[in-house]
Amino acid sequence: MTDPRVARLGELVVDYSLGLEPEKVLRIDAPPVAEPLAVEVYRAALAAGAHPYVDLQLERLPELLLAEANDRQLDYVSPISKAEIELVDAIVTIWSESNTRALTHADPERHQRLLGASQELAKRRWQRMSAGDLGWLGMLFPTEAHAQDAQMSLAEYESFVFRACHVEEPGDAVAHWEGVRRELGARAESLSEARELRIVGPGTDLTVGVEGRRWQPADGRYNMPDGEVYTSPLETATEGEISFVFPALFHGREVADIRLRFENGEVVAAEASRGREYLDAMLEMDDGARRLGEVAFGLNYEIDRFTQNTLFDEKIGGTMHVALGAAFEDLGGRNESGLHWDLVCDLREDGEVYADGELVWRAGRFLESAAPARV
Amino acid sequence: MSDRLRRLAEVLVGYSGGVRPGDLTVLQGPVNVEPLLEELYGAVLRAGGHPTVRCSPELDDLLFREGSERQLEWQTPGEREDIDQADVWIVVDAPSNTKALTSVDPEREALVQRARRPWRERYLERALAGELRWVLTAFPTNGAAQDAEMSLAEYERFLYGAAMLDAGDPAERWRAFSEVLGRVAEFLMTKEEIRFVAEGTDLTFAVSGARTWLASDGHENFPDGEVFTAPLDESAEGEITFTFPAVFSGRQVDDVRLRFHEGEVVEASASRGEEFLREMVALDDGARRVGELAFGLNDAVRVFTRNILFDEKIGGTMHLALGSAYSEVGGTNRSALHWDMICDLRSGGEVYADGELVYRDGRFLGLT
Repeated sequence: MTDPRVARLGELVVDYSLGLEPEKVLRIDAPPVAEPLAVEVYRAALAAGAHPYVDLQLERLPELLLAEANDRQLDYVSPISKAEIELVDAIVTIWSESNTRALTHADPERHQRLLGASQELAKRRWQRMSAGDLGWLGMLFPTEAHAQDAQMSLAEYESFVFRACHVEEPGDAVAHWEGVRRELGARAESLSEARELRIVGPGTDLTVGVEGRRWQPADGRYNMPDGEVYTSPLETATEGEISFVFPALFHGREVADIRLRFENGEVVAAEASRGREYLDAMLEMDDGARRLGEVAFGLNYEIDRFTQNTLFDEKIGGTMHVALGAAFEDLGGRNESGLHWDLVCDLREDGEVYADGELVWRAGRFLESAAPARV
Repeated sequence: MSDRLRRLAEVLVGYSGGVRPGDLTVLQGPVNVEPLLEELYGAVLRAGGHPTVRCSPELDDLLFREGSERQLEWQTPGEREDIDQADVWIVVDAPSNTKALTSVDPEREALVQRARRPWRERYLERALAGELRWVLTAFPTNGAAQDAEMSLAEYERFLYGAAMLDAGDPAERWRAFSEVLGRVAEFLMTKEEIRFVAEGTDLTFAVSGARTWLASDGHENFPDGEVFTAPLDESAEGEITFTFPAVFSGRQVDDVRLRFHEGEVVEASASRGEEFLREMVALDDGARRVGELAFGLNDAVRVFTRNILFDEKIGGTMHLALGSAYSEVGGTNRSALHWDMICDLRSGGEVYADGELVYRDGRFLGLT
C-alpha cells in the first residue's frame, strides 16, 4: 500500500521541480531502501509522458570497493556511465541511507581516490546542468538511519520530512511551492541591492560584503525540501566572528561548537570543542578553504530543528549559514576550493541582521516582506 | 546460505562468465537479489574485473498498466549501453511474483516483445562475435518456490543442487559435466533426421546441413545442461503434445498440442490459455516455426518448477522453441518470439536418429 504522502512527493518533484515534459528521459538514482519513493517518482514520470528508469545503487558496494579493489579498479570510470550521462535529460537523486556512518572507518586516502575518480562524471554533469541540458533534483526518503541521526522515531521523522516538503497533508503542494518561488524570488531581488550584511547573535558579530553579487532563491527546483536564498560573498570583505551552535557534520564526521574569526575575508582563528583537528585539516585543504563561498538565509519554517542532515539543516527557518570553500560562479563568486562545507548559525532566539546599517531581520524573521518580484 | 551464495557467485564469475582482469562486467537483477549482487560484485573485483550493477525495482507491472505504447517500446539509455559495451553480462532472474503480469493485454505484451527484438539480436550478435559473454541465472525467491510448489528452503536445495553447489568444487564438476554434454552433441552431429515418438507425439525434424548441435554447459545459462540445435526451417512435420504447461512471461498454457506441416504450425490447441497461444504464434512470420530443438540432460533437475531456466534442462526431456533461432548453431529463423515448450520422454518416450532407436525412457542408449 502506497503512503499517499510518498505519492504526493513523487508528483511534486516531477510536476513542479523538474517540470518534466513528454519524451524526456529521466533517471532515478536511489538506494533500495528508498524504493517506495523511487517507484512513485517513476509513476509520476510515466503519467507525464516521459521515459523514466530507476537505477538502484546498492549501499554496501562502496564499502566492498574500498576494501577489495586494486588501484585500477578504484580509478575506473565505466564507459557506460560516461555514455549515459550524455543521454539523460533529467536525474533525480534520492540520498537515503540505511546507515549514515557506514564509511566512518574507510581508509580516507582510498576514499579520496574513489571520489576523485567520480569527479570526471560529476564535472560533466554540472556542465550539462549549467548549460540547461540536464535537469536535476536531490531529495530524501525517510529511513530509520536518518531518523536516528535526527533523534526521532521513524514515524516522527517521516512527518518531519513530508511537512518540510509540504506533502504531509492532502492539498495543492505545487501551489504552495509556486508561492515559495514568488516570495523567495522577491527576497533575493531585494537582497541583491545590499552592499553589506552584518550578522549579530550569540557569539557572533560578522560583517560580510555582498555588493554586486546576485542572490539566488532556492525554491524547490534542485532540492526538495528547499527554502533559502543564497549568494557568494566578496572574497576579501568578511570581518569579525561567528559561532555555530549546531554541530557541523561533514562526510560523516562531527565537529562541535565551531567559532571562526575572519580578517580581510580569511579565517584567522578557529576553535571547536570537538573535532578541532578535523576542522584545522579542512581549513588547510587549499587557499580557498579559509574563505567564504556562500552566505545564505534558511527560510523553510516547516523545518524547525537540527537533524544532522545538510539538506534540511541549511534550510531551517530562522537560521543563516555560510560555507567555507567553493563559491558559485554564476552568482559572481570567485573563490575556488575543493571544499564546500555548510555551517549553520542559529539566529532564532536573539539574532539580528543589518543590511547597510539598517535592521532587516530579528529573531529569525525578516521584518518586512520583500517587494513582489518584477516578472 | 551466505556460503552457498558466495560459491554461486564464484562459479558464475569464474566458470560461467570467465571474468578476466579489465573486463567490464554488468551485474543485473531486481532489488530482491541484493545479497547475490553483492557477492557477485566482490567476486568480480577479486577476478580483477570492473563490476557495474544494474538493479531496479520490479516495475514491469506498473509500466504495462500505466505506460503508453511509446513508453512500453522505449529502451533506456542504460540498457542500450550495457548491451553495446559490456564484456560480461550476468543477469539474475528472481521474480517476487511470477504471475504479476497475468492480466496484461497480450497485444501489449506482443508489442514489448517486438520492440525488444533488435536488442536481443544485438546481444546475440555480440555474443556470436565473441565480444560479449552473457549468463542468465536464478536466485531463489518465494515466488519461484511457490510456482514450483516447494517451500523456500526446499527450493533453495533444489536450485543449489541443480547448480552443483552442494558438494565438491563446483567449477570442477561443471567441467566434467561439460564433457558428457559434448559427447552427446558430437553424436547428434552425425545424424540428419530426428524423430520423437511419445504419447500424442510423432514429430520429425531435419537437422543436417549447416546446422550444428551445441552443448549448453553453464556458460550462458546457469544452472544448465542441454544440447540444442536449430532444425531446418521447413522440416518440422507431424504433431507434438507437451506434457508440461508452457509458460511465457508469467502466463501458463496447459496441454499445448501443435501440428506442423513443412515447418509451420498449422494447428495449435490448448486446454487453457489457447487465445494467448494463438496470439503468440501469430506474432510474426517466424513465430510459427521452430527455432530451437533440444534435449534436457541435467539429472539433478527432476521436477517441473514453471521456470524455463530449469524446466528445459530436466534430464530425460526434449524441448522446442517457437520463434527465433540461435545463429551460433546455424539457425536462420527470425522472430521476436522465443518460447520454449517441454515434452517429458522419461516414461515411454523414444527418439529415432536416421531411423535408428537412439534414446528411450529419457536416456541416450549407451551414451550417458
